[in-house]
Amino acid sequence: MKTIQIFDPAMCCSSGVCGVDVDQNLVTFAADVDWAKQNGAQIERFNLSQQPMAFAENAVVKGLLERTGQTVLPVTLVDGQLALAGRYPSRDDLARWAGVQAQAAETATASCCAGGSCC
Amino acid sequence: MRFLENPPRYLFFTGKGGVGKTSIACACAVELADAGKTVLLVSTDPASNVGQVFNVAIGNKITPIVTVPNLSALEIDPQGAAQAYRDRIVGPVRGVLPDDVVKGIEEQLSGACTTEIAAFDEFTGLLTDSTLTAGFDHIVFDTAPTGHTIRLLQLPGAWSGFLEAGKGDASCLGPLAGLEKQRSQYKAAVQALSDPALTRLVLVARAQAATLREASRTHQELADIGLSQQYLVINGVLSASELKGDPLAMAIHAREDLAISNMAPVLRDLPLDSIALKPFNLVGLNALRHLLNEAPAPDALSTSSIELIAPSAPNLSQLVDDIATDGHGLVMLMGKGGVGKTTLAAAVAVELAHRGLSVHLTTSDPAAHLAQTLDGTLENLTVSRIDPHEVTERYRKHVLDTKGANLDAEGRAMLEEDLRSPCTEEIAVFQAFSRIIREAGKKFVVMDTAPTGHTLLLLDATGAYHRDIVRQMGETGVHFTTPMMQLQDPKQTKVMIVTLAETTPVLEAANLQADLRRAGIEPWAWVINNSLAAAHPHSPLLRQRARNELREIDAVATQHARRHAVVPLLTEEPVGVERLRALENRKIS
Repeated sequence: MKTIQIFDPAMCCSSGVCGVDVDQNLVTFAADVDWAKQNGAQIERFNLSQQPMAFAENAVVKGLLERTGQTVLPVTLVDGQLALAGRYPSRDDLARWAGVQAQAAETATASCCAGGSCC
Repeated sequence: MRFLENPPRYLFFTGKGGVGKTSIACACAVELADAGKTVLLVSTDPASNVGQVFNVAIGNKITPIVTVPNLSALEIDPQGAAQAYRDRIVGPVRGVLPDDVVKGIEEQLSGACTTEIAAFDEFTGLLTDSTLTAGFDHIVFDTAPTGHTIRLLQLPGAWSGFLEAGKGDASCLGPLAGLEKQRSQYKAAVQALSDPALTRLVLVARAQAATLREASRTHQELADIGLSQQYLVINGVLSASELKGDPLAMAIHAREDLAISNMAPVLRDLPLDSIALKPFNLVGLNALRHLLNEAPAPDALSTSSIELIAPSAPNLSQLVDDIATDGHGLVMLMGKGGVGKTTLAAAVAVELAHRGLSVHLTTSDPAAHLAQTLDGTLENLTVSRIDPHEVTERYRKHVLDTKGANLDAEGRAMLEEDLRSPCTEEIAVFQAFSRIIREAGKKFVVMDTAPTGHTLLLLDATGAYHRDIVRQMGETGVHFTTPMMQLQDPKQTKVMIVTLAETTPVLEAANLQADLRRAGIEPWAWVINNSLAAAHPHSPLLRQRARNELREIDAVATQHARRHAVVPLLTEEPVGVERLRALENRKIS
């Protein structure tokens, strides 16, 4: 089982409601992470404003921050290797990296779209 | 005093800045100690003058007050606690991560929520740690946690998510994760608060419509989450015996009577005490012992010879002269609730319109009868109003319906509570205003509200992006501005800080200024409203109060403001064009 690590930008709440507008990506992504975890994926999230040491101690993330600055966040590492930067992964991305059944992914996606609000 | 009858172990005094919470809490603690009880007085007042009141250095440890047997005191500094928390988080990465990254983290942790949660963390020990407080019969707090903080702590999602796992979702509770106490302790603290046998909440207000409205809001909010045992104290009421034929004193008395008889029914049902306005500042044990008693004031001074405010102190009209020279721009009046932002915004707008300039006055005052009376009275003046409650509700609903649509029940409860944070209303109102702000390129736009520096910096998290555009556009020579740049440019935007000539309001205003400066905005002027000193009262009591103002006015003039104006307390409410103009020029009948 691969480990997925997400390094979030500095925010006081992961729903992003304290910002100018609630970021739909954050709300959707929170739901996707929840889904992937329920399907057995190993996912950890780090918030820059609450766990900055995690960023400082990770050579890959620290290097990206030094070269590009905060705009590089969010950063996704899979087993410590850079997988994605600058945006959040999709549910499909998570499923692929975690090796979760594609079938399960599709079912969940379908049910989410049936709800009519996330697509 | 009814709030002192059969007191439970914990007494909390709550109310907005400047109503006299700390003085009443001190007087209450002294009264209980004099009656033979052992009392701990806890102050979180940033202007903490508790040490000064008792003439002892107190600080963040339980200190016996030698002059009052049975009494000890403790000062908590929520700002300091929040700073300590920030240092704990940020300290280890300073110099390790790039500077702008570190700065971004610090800003995220500089909101009101962090301070509030840090203060609650300090309370928790006092409400639950029996070894710390075992020797005390009563613990008296000069402040109380807000409904928002307590509701967050009551949410099951808050605990199962972030705080226990230590990673994953964080809400406004994020700061608690960095604090060291255990879940069970926070839970016990919330339980102690909502137990009427243990806790009494005393709402402190002044006999003014605005503070009574706020008291009824606080009452409702805290009653809803179980703090049912509440008392009301109306402080600083001008007694009929002090009027002495002074027209200003009589007008104040009539206005206070009206405010009290118009207060919300929920407040009228609470046990009520009223404390008379005293001529003296509440410093020293003698003064404190007289606060809760109707005995005549000690050492009443002869006041006829008191030199009041010099006629040279600038008035509002002189500030408007300066504003008018630009021909257009945004004027924002900023300050705590109840200091008179809306009245002054209306006065500035009327004065500008009288000079033939085109003006749009926009207000968020919930009781905006003042703005309504102005609409259509002057040719160059348009008036609009935004209902903060309505826009905030719409914003919340919009977020929940769209972004929160596929969250589970727990996630939704969390999002709902995050949306009740004080930042949300500020953001929603400011968004509603932003369309009107754009008009300021052609005419004057006068607003009775402004976002705090913290909100602006958070909004400008998109600002990193703005700066990128600025760099790129700079090379092509195309002219444009972002809203943040508009607010930072003194040519386009003038922020006026409104305050009262009293210790706590001046201190709160200074904090607002520091917050704006953090966002690169330099307040253009300060306005001291409702000044007794500028109103030249005759009643000896009011003259004495007026003299107490002079020190605060001097502090504003010499330490805080680049320019300032003093506006007198008027005999009649400044409604309508003529009376607003009188406010400007200090022509008082």
